[in-house]
Amino acid sequence: MARVPALLVMHADLAAALMRAAERVYGPVEDVEVLSNEGLSREALEAEIGRRVVRWSAGGLVLTDFWGGSCHICGAAATRGRGELVIVTGVNLPTLIDYLHNRDQYPVEELAERLKQKGQDSIRLQRGLSA
Amino acid sequence: MSWRLHRVDDRLIHGQVVVAWGERLRPRRIWVVDDASAADRWERELLESAAPGIEVHVIAVDEAAAAYAAEASREGEAFLLVRDLATALAVVEAGAAVPRFTLGGLHYAPGKDKVNEYVYLDAADRDRARELRRRGVTLEVQDVPATRPQALEALDPGLALP
Repeated sequence: MARVPALLVMHADLAAALMRAAERVYGPVEDVEVLSNEGLSREALEAEIGRRVVRWSAGGLVLTDFWGGSCHICGAAATRGRGELVIVTGVNLPTLIDYLHNRDQYPVEELAERLKQKGQDSIRLQRGLSA
Repeated sequence: MSWRLHRVDDRLIHGQVVVAWGERLRPRRIWVVDDASAADRWERELLESAAPGIEVHVIAVDEAAAAYAAEASREGEAFLLVRDLATALAVVEAGAAVPRFTLGGLHYAPGKDKVNEYVYLDAADRDRARELRRRGVTLEVQDVPATRPQALEALDPGLALP
């Protein structure tokens, strides 16, 4: 199975910080790019994402922070007409680590669905337990 | 009062609009006035899906005046979004009685000068800003509701009217 490439596009320094955190848990990571939307117009961010995914002819994932944010909107616009690319929004640390563990195990679409489920399952409530 | 925010932002719908202004002011509707987006079904559907729980309308400039007047008497609150000062001026010239525009994001592009961290203008933008002010439209600079709005002419004294 070919490795599914990924680009993290997030607000401020979140993508780089999330990668640093993931490396503390997973170990050194190769082949994942990060991009901040800081100071970029829609046109510039869209162009920057497009430039980074243009070579992904076999597909890939654009991992973003929240639905409706510029990272999601520009990611969608930059990958318009390319069904082999999937945008995943709401990406958190458990999702990113799951991507790293499974990016060589699944095709793009299945991996995207897996990450969506993983992200949703990772949010739980822990209430104080009685002594 | 229906209209709560008139924003100039080259990103149109994005996080600051949906999360910061949206959570603060709870609009029922967002009106995006943008000829290019209105003419492109895919782009319209993208913007319409970008703000869950809020009704999003994407219309052309020539539809703006009628939509603006109709929205003003509706229940619930609304945002108006345009991508640049050219569209802001065109909306006013078309007859929409917009009292103020908030400049929330006009990012750097070649030929534009920095006004603050998120507003860059060129000579054509300044001409449009002066024309808007001559028409009685207040221009403020504010990215998110937690920051203080500032008059554009205070940040860019070249825009002061004679």
